[in-house]
Amino acid sequence: MSLPQTPYKYSLTQPLYDWHPWNMKWILFFGALIGSGICDRETFSGHQVFRINVRNGDEISKLNRLVNSDNLKLNLWKSPPALGHPTDVLVPSVSLQEVKSFLEDHDLEYSVAVEDLQTILDAEKQEMQHNVHQELSSNCFNYGAYHTLEAIHKEMDNIVKYYPRLVSTVTIGHSFENRSMYVLKFSTGEGRQRPALWLNAGIHAREWVSPATAIWTARKIACDYGKDAIITSTLKKMDIFVLPVANPDGYVYTHTHNRLWRKTRSVNPGSTCIGTDPNRNWNSSFGGVGSIADPCSEVYHGPYPHSEVEVKSVADFIKKHGNFKCFIDLHSFSQMVLYPYGYTATKAQDADELDMVARNTAKALAMLSGTQYRVGSIFSITYAASGSTVDWAYDNGIKYAFSFELRDTGDYGFALPASQIIPTAQETWLGLKTIIEHVRDNI
Amino acid sequence: MQLRRQPLSAPRPGDTRPAAQRLAGPLLLLLALQGAGASGGPEDSGWLQDAEPSSRLLSQAARAALHFFNFRAASPSALQVLENVLDGRAWVNQKKEYKFDLVFTTEFYSTEEDEKRLGQCSAQVFFRNEKPRPAVNVTCSQLIKKERRQEEDYHLYKLMKQLKSPLNAVSIPDSHGYIAPSLRPVWDLAFLGSSYVMWQKTTPFLQYYMSQISSVKQWKTNDDAIDFDYTVLLHEFSTQEIIPCRIHLVWYPSKPLKVKYHCQERQTPEEASGTEDGSAMALTELSNF
Repeated sequence: MSLPQTPYKYSLTQPLYDWHPWNMKWILFFGALIGSGICDRETFSGHQVFRINVRNGDEISKLNRLVNSDNLKLNLWKSPPALGHPTDVLVPSVSLQEVKSFLEDHDLEYSVAVEDLQTILDAEKQEMQHNVHQELSSNCFNYGAYHTLEAIHKEMDNIVKYYPRLVSTVTIGHSFENRSMYVLKFSTGEGRQRPALWLNAGIHAREWVSPATAIWTARKIACDYGKDAIITSTLKKMDIFVLPVANPDGYVYTHTHNRLWRKTRSVNPGSTCIGTDPNRNWNSSFGGVGSIADPCSEVYHGPYPHSEVEVKSVADFIKKHGNFKCFIDLHSFSQMVLYPYGYTATKAQDADELDMVARNTAKALAMLSGTQYRVGSIFSITYAASGSTVDWAYDNGIKYAFSFELRDTGDYGFALPASQIIPTAQETWLGLKTIIEHVRDNI
Repeated sequence: MQLRRQPLSAPRPGDTRPAAQRLAGPLLLLLALQGAGASGGPEDSGWLQDAEPSSRLLSQAARAALHFFNFRAASPSALQVLENVLDGRAWVNQKKEYKFDLVFTTEFYSTEEDEKRLGQCSAQVFFRNEKPRPAVNVTCSQLIKKERRQEEDYHLYKLMKQLKSPLNAVSIPDSHGYIAPSLRPVWDLAFLGSSYVMWQKTTPFLQYYMSQISSVKQWKTNDDAIDFDYTVLLHEFSTQEIIPCRIHLVWYPSKPLKVKYHCQERQTPEEASGTEDGSAMALTELSNF
């Protein structure tokens, strides 16, 4: 069963038509172009898009003349005519005949890229309404979109519903504002503490592509069990735990108040500033370099290690389990595969092995679309950071501790366009499998 | 989805520094640009070459150079971003000042998937203690012919003139990372203005990314300029802080960018209340803006 792809196909071949399911701004775009009323829907029935190939400067000036003529009311859809790429022109139905004659008389090479614009717009609108309806009736979770905490938790339940023998949910605790720390457990074995792998996501609230990738990955694991050799063989001897939203309060806050919130939402006595950086709160060189004692700082480490209930829940669960072999933490952005340490420049004992795995991971990831990830220890590649998840995991016997900084490298940063979710998840999947395979073979 | 609005102090209407100081900035810059090798190389006393400069440090310096380049090019259709550092050397002196010699590749900011082209730049970047902003000398390969670039800029300008009010947009991009196609030129122009600010603020320890336009105060288009007054949220590395900056720019295709800004720094117990002002007149004309 293949993953539901984003149902919003771009029906027009030119990327300028940037369709987005969550608002009707595309109507404004056309309205602005045509220069007419933007509130009522203009009909584009019979309007066509001509694709014209200009082959020389003479043809460019002819085309310019055509486009600029007042009575025809043509509209360029992208850049002005130039050699090297075709020009798309929107032609109203009333001008079709005249434009065709002009093009043919002047021997201009063209094709009809869109036969009837209104048909396409109607279809797109229908698809959108259909999808909204689908989502409301909770039968179809769009993995190519960002979701609320509630929707993610709901989809986690759905995954369990579809794969009851493989997947179950575990509530490992509750957040400061009493939201559940909801984990998916993938296991083919019964009871015993089998060797396990932990996939952590969304610990920093604003890094939305992290939970988005995690829920996609959870679905993928469930889907591919029995089909993919690496996943199947791994699950035969290991359990996998996925926590898509490790900071539920922060995540909700990015939806309701401040899209760029990072920390938890715990109260700091004596300060008006809220929250602790949950990735500085772990008991690994707590309070050291790269963390700050000021509650107002984005990298405030908190009053003491594991002061944040969100951190404590995960740490206690893993310690109690006692048999975790691998811990992977998903963040954004920067495009990096990182390993310990963040709190010191000193090389970790297993740095050479971790570096090799990380390099192979980055290589595998790049295979899909050429996305380049840098590799190294947290300290050497980014900045000093004390009290982080992977340092804690490593210093507590979990050798294969990695941190991913997912897309992108700063063009959009945290507000990564939703259209990049699935490409990110797909390439990251290749990287994750590299780690999983190595862990499987070395435990 | 509302962003939490930080209370911004009102931007001062004009630069309050004395005229001489205002002039000194751009003039010094001109000198830095012209005196390429004169600012001193590794032979100068006190400079120690860093044998293994971290990739992070080199990237940071390269970005500063690129912010400056984008600002000077003043071309919202031809903004470039860092792709990769090919070669970099770093020197540091006893005053903890840094110098870099870099070669790096770039790509277009608004790139179509099938139009991916790499440019190449070489730059010298000098972070001095007295002058907050880095001195940059940068040369980049021409990724796009000047005429084509001017055409694209003019086309963007015409598109922007058609926009009645991006004032209605609460934030660009929205929470889902979406920028409406009609608003894309606004984003690119904002990025151009932000490039000036990010160049000014980059140090060997702090670098910036543009996260979001959180509000548009004014959008005026007339026949000779676009007058754009907006607030942008800059993401600061490594502090992870979000810095709101009020930017006011005036742009016209093929003319140098005029820009003023006022950033609100987060107050820390050690520092006094921090606000930062800066402005750039066109280097050739110092009109009262």
